[in-house]
Amino acid sequence: MGKSKKSVQIVILLAIILIGVYAVATVVFGSDEVPKVGQKAADFELQGMDGNVHTMSEYEGKARVINFWGTYCPPCVREMPALQAQWEKWSSQGVEIIGINVGENKMTVENFVAQTGVKFPILMDPKRNAVASFGVGPMPTTFFVTASGKIDHIRIGELDLNTLDKQIEQLVNAK
Amino acid sequence: MSQGSKPLIQNTKCDCGHQNPTGTVLCEACGKPLTEEAEAQPILEMRYDGVARRSQKENPGIIDRVWNFFSSVKVAIYLILLTLVGSSLGTIFPQESTFLNIDPSVYYKEEYGQLGHIYYLLGLSHTYTSWWFVLLLVMIGASLVICSLDRVLPLYKALSRQRIPKHMSFLTRQKVVYQGQVQEDGADWVERIKPIIKKKGYRVRTDGGTLLAEKQRFSRWGPYVLHIGLIIFLLAVLGRNLPGLHMDEHMAFPQDEPVHIKNTSYYLLNDGFKVEFYTEDDMPEEFKGKNKVLPKEFQTQAILYMCEANCDDLDKEPQLVELTRHNIEVNHPLNYKGLKAYQFDYDLTPILRTVSPMLIDSKSGKEYGKITLSINDPQREYQAGEYTLTLTQSFTDFGLGDNGKPVNLSPNPNAPAFLFLIKGPDLPKEGVQYFYFPKQIDKERFNQEAINAQLAGGEALVKLDVLSMDDVDFSESTTYLNIRVDKAMPFIWVGCFIGMIGLIMGFYFTHRRIWLRIDNGTLTLGAHTNKNWFGLRKEISAILKQMNIEVDEKSLENNRGTKHESN
Repeated sequence: MGKSKKSVQIVILLAIILIGVYAVATVVFGSDEVPKVGQKAADFELQGMDGNVHTMSEYEGKARVINFWGTYCPPCVREMPALQAQWEKWSSQGVEIIGINVGENKMTVENFVAQTGVKFPILMDPKRNAVASFGVGPMPTTFFVTASGKIDHIRIGELDLNTLDKQIEQLVNAK
Repeated sequence: MSQGSKPLIQNTKCDCGHQNPTGTVLCEACGKPLTEEAEAQPILEMRYDGVARRSQKENPGIIDRVWNFFSSVKVAIYLILLTLVGSSLGTIFPQESTFLNIDPSVYYKEEYGQLGHIYYLLGLSHTYTSWWFVLLLVMIGASLVICSLDRVLPLYKALSRQRIPKHMSFLTRQKVVYQGQVQEDGADWVERIKPIIKKKGYRVRTDGGTLLAEKQRFSRWGPYVLHIGLIIFLLAVLGRNLPGLHMDEHMAFPQDEPVHIKNTSYYLLNDGFKVEFYTEDDMPEEFKGKNKVLPKEFQTQAILYMCEANCDDLDKEPQLVELTRHNIEVNHPLNYKGLKAYQFDYDLTPILRTVSPMLIDSKSGKEYGKITLSINDPQREYQAGEYTLTLTQSFTDFGLGDNGKPVNLSPNPNAPAFLFLIKGPDLPKEGVQYFYFPKQIDKERFNQEAINAQLAGGEALVKLDVLSMDDVDFSESTTYLNIRVDKAMPFIWVGCFIGMIGLIMGFYFTHRRIWLRIDNGTLTLGAHTNKNWFGLRKEISAILKQMNIEVDEKSLENNRGTKHESN
């Protein structure tokens, strides 16, 4: 009777360990918690200014700079030229800069883009779905995501040209 | 619990020839005490009928050691005490989850001082979702399963394989004992008493001059049934974290706009919101004359929809099918298949959705045509009679920036504003610019007329104006609902129910056993129950009386114990 007893013991202990690990893991890395630095960046599915729907997976394999902005946020408006300049510099080297407009209508964004000469892709998040899944608080917030999809750095607040440049360089090297 | 400090290296073979497993206290076959400790007891410890627990082994390996750890009731009690202490720590300050929108790293310091900050740093501000608390729960669960298995299986075996003849020392060391003389043959006497005992509800088995009577054995399974209930309860609590099983969200529902409920295919529409306030007379004394506004009753007329098609398509409107309607009031939530919507708050600020102003000649008042302007999603071009209106800029919350230029202050439609380029008859060829503020308050605040006069270089020739309230569409109010899903609840109830059955089995029924043997005209009777000894003694005294043996109930109590000295 010894052997079957032992395997029953092992099965029960394994089941307990499995449930235990699962239970502890779900509370520690809570299921609806927002991803942090070092974790995989959240997905999104948003309509772009080009009229097409874009998802995170589209940019797989590319280093990504994801900038959350709005025309109603002065620092966001101020940092736009820096982002545009960096897009011009880095886009040929496999870096994508994506601007996600938060909560505004198409016309406002269109007008703004036309006025400021922004050329990098702009997506719209009118219902703040991406804001929720990325856990964006104050704006601007910029996520630096590596080619493998991990968050390398999160910048809350205005960016300037130099730090942005350094940050992108670090991101490209982080591959 | 572990059996003392002495290592139990012993011969486990009983005099009756039965080979017992290590850790056996009373021989599985005849009930003779095997250990020195048991031998020394004046009254036998009958816990688990003296059988060895499954985990008691001579050379435990690593798995056995883990198993033994959890199989110990002492460990289980420590675990429960630790959990008790832990969960009471979580009640010192409110938990993070009770607040809607706080930054705990500053909130606890501001609200409760340094102590609050330490509380936060120790992670006690989310005690019930901390790794150590959940680990404790899991360990209690493990202890429940292993403790139960370790005891219930040997106990089940022992009780289902009971032999009728028992060792004399087993009988005389029961708590209820009778010894006396009988005149007739042992087997005949036993056959005679059998129906009498049976009448008391016992199942009786005999073997020559020996007898075993037993009733309500199932009450012994009560604790284990309770444990099964508790395990289901615990699993349900842990399982709440599975995706889709639990949701607790506070959401805003502006009137007449279906709002998608996250992670579900449901949409909920606020089809109207009613609020009734206390009149000045109805208010309690302390509120009177203080200009307080106290709501008496508020109600959301809610319609729940299910999305059938185009749910994830950003280009198309989702196709909704109505599921149910309910008027949500405080304490009367909408409930649809486990999805509950509770009234939580409301906001009576109207939100403008569309306006349909008329293009009018400023001088003659002639009406040229109406345009329909969506505040949140305006078009580029509008046609009003022969006039073309091109929207060049739109604002949801108009304001002036640092450089004096118009800017959007927020994405909320607090102060919508639109800049048109109007072209048409009597207007300059390149058109005139015209600023339009749909809200009356903004027209005055930003001085619409003056702006337009300046843009036109004189008095504006045409103007946009809303002629009647029918041309304005707005959401009168926003209701805030607490959307909850708790699909683990039925399992929690099932767990409680099974636990209750276990408690009833264990508490309201008693497992009673009577053994007797007749050796050369001497009757020896021993009896055991797990509670209500008084009832058992009474029962035996009544049975013996029918066999013409007069015994005082009290004298049945075994005096070999501590009472011996007092006699």
